[in-house]
Amino acid sequence: MDEALRLKAVDKTFRGHLSIGSHQVLRGVTLTVPRGVIYGFLGPNGAGKTTTLKVITGLLFADAGEISILGQSVEDRSVRGRIGFLPESPYFYDYLSGYELLIFMGRLQGVPAARLAARIPGLIKAVGLEGKDRLQLRKYSKGMLQRIGLAQALLNDPDLVILDEPMSGLDPIGRREVRDLILAMKDQGKTVFFSSHILADAEMICDQVAILVKGKVVQEGPLESLLSSEVQFWDVTVRGAAGMVPPPGCSVLTRLGTQLLIRVDREETLQDLLDRSRAEGASIRAVVPHKSSLEDLFLSHIPGEGR
Amino acid sequence: MASRGDRSTVVHQITALASNTFKEATRSRVFYILLAFAVALLLFSSAMGFMAVGSIRRVVLDMGLSTVSYFSAMTAIFVGVGLIYREIEHKTIYNILSKPVSRTVFLAGRYAGLMAVLLVNLAAMTAVLSLVLAFFGGFTPRVFAAAGYIYLELLILTAVALFFSSVTSPVVSALCTAAFYIIGHTSSALPDLLVPYLTSTWERRLAVGIYHILPDLNLLSINNLVSNNIPTAHGFAIRAVLYTVLTVAILMLASALCFKRRDLV
Repeated sequence: MDEALRLKAVDKTFRGHLSIGSHQVLRGVTLTVPRGVIYGFLGPNGAGKTTTLKVITGLLFADAGEISILGQSVEDRSVRGRIGFLPESPYFYDYLSGYELLIFMGRLQGVPAARLAARIPGLIKAVGLEGKDRLQLRKYSKGMLQRIGLAQALLNDPDLVILDEPMSGLDPIGRREVRDLILAMKDQGKTVFFSSHILADAEMICDQVAILVKGKVVQEGPLESLLSSEVQFWDVTVRGAAGMVPPPGCSVLTRLGTQLLIRVDREETLQDLLDRSRAEGASIRAVVPHKSSLEDLFLSHIPGEGR
Repeated sequence: MASRGDRSTVVHQITALASNTFKEATRSRVFYILLAFAVALLLFSSAMGFMAVGSIRRVVLDMGLSTVSYFSAMTAIFVGVGLIYREIEHKTIYNILSKPVSRTVFLAGRYAGLMAVLLVNLAAMTAVLSLVLAFFGGFTPRVFAAAGYIYLELLILTAVALFFSSVTSPVVSALCTAAFYIIGHTSSALPDLLVPYLTSTWERRLAVGIYHILPDLNLLSINNLVSNNIPTAHGFAIRAVLYTVLTVAILMLASALCFKRRDLV
């Protein structure tokens, strides 16, 4: 058994009073997260990512489908002792200090007091909150709350870490720190399952992704198999060619004085462009190949956004 | 059958949740403002007692115990109704129930924590009342017994508030719990008031039947007996404790059943 998480045909509908205004949020969500990977659960706002995570962590109950976590049913509460969870924009008791929060959460996890006392200083150091752990949480910044949230998710040394939008609302430094922490978790042999709509971060660290749109997984698999390795187009910057007419198949994107930015989508056309530029005495400043990105893949599944 | 390890974990979790609830209350400025207000109200009602006609000791004792009782009940209702709702509203519950903590344990921990807060509150008010009575030479140790029975009432009221808090909003919960409190303190008059006017046997049986279904919080109160220096009946304490235990058990079970499959959106 090398699956950390498996969802099969999971449905969830929110019903209003007297079942008026029902809204189906998850429609047969099926995905498999192998052990030891960083798995990105991507989708636009309102796609159902947080609902899926809440169903996995027992905060919501699925209407249909099967959920298995580390080989155990989601109904088996003991499995939650083997997972760590960071909710979106985590809310904590702001009258507690960071240290008190970790003690409290550790006691709920059933971590023995001696192990807790030995583990907390290391975790505080790992998330970069040394010297800040005795401050009340109401004095923490958003980034610090995210970090103490990560520390509480790791208290029980979990096999599976589930993070809901861990980089949301953080500045670039905070995002990099969280990315590094996620990579460190993978190095420790943990499986990380995180939701995000920040594609650049996901592309940097994910081994596998699933894309959720309107409650349905529209694509799932290893990142390298989902993204084409072929170059999609080239952007060429040419200087000193104000009067140059590019060959057919090229499109001029910008023209700044004698400098042109030209997009080419075929290799033969690129060769023609380079030859013509040299012939007209223009200098070629840059040739940038573009492969398909996670963003292209993502947008291709969003109605009205596909390229 | 739960193993010893499981039981120990459950006890640790309830203790952790209760201790956190206690910290939440005692680190809030509102708690101290309420406590100061309670003490001020107690001193004021005692002062009013001295101005009243009749036995000063009896009036001070009566007004003092009533103040302690009403104020404790109001605190239980207004803090109790937000006990679960606030956790959901503030989303702090996500961090708790995503851990291996059962929803029943969560309810029990929150309940135990609030009961600890109410105990401190009641102890402080009883101490002030005792000092006032001692100052004027009217102190009786039965004040502590009366406070004990008030605490039994608080156990029930908090369980009622917790039940409503686990199924509805704080406003509706507060109204329902306050209604329970009012009915609980007036239901005992139902048979005496109605029965003489009812002509048929079935009407009298119906009235008595309704009384038995309704809560009767006067079964737990000795305030009048203490202030009038009347001894409590034999077996009163055992009946009061059994009534409390049974009512709290039913309410906690109902809360647990309602909360068990509730979606935390």
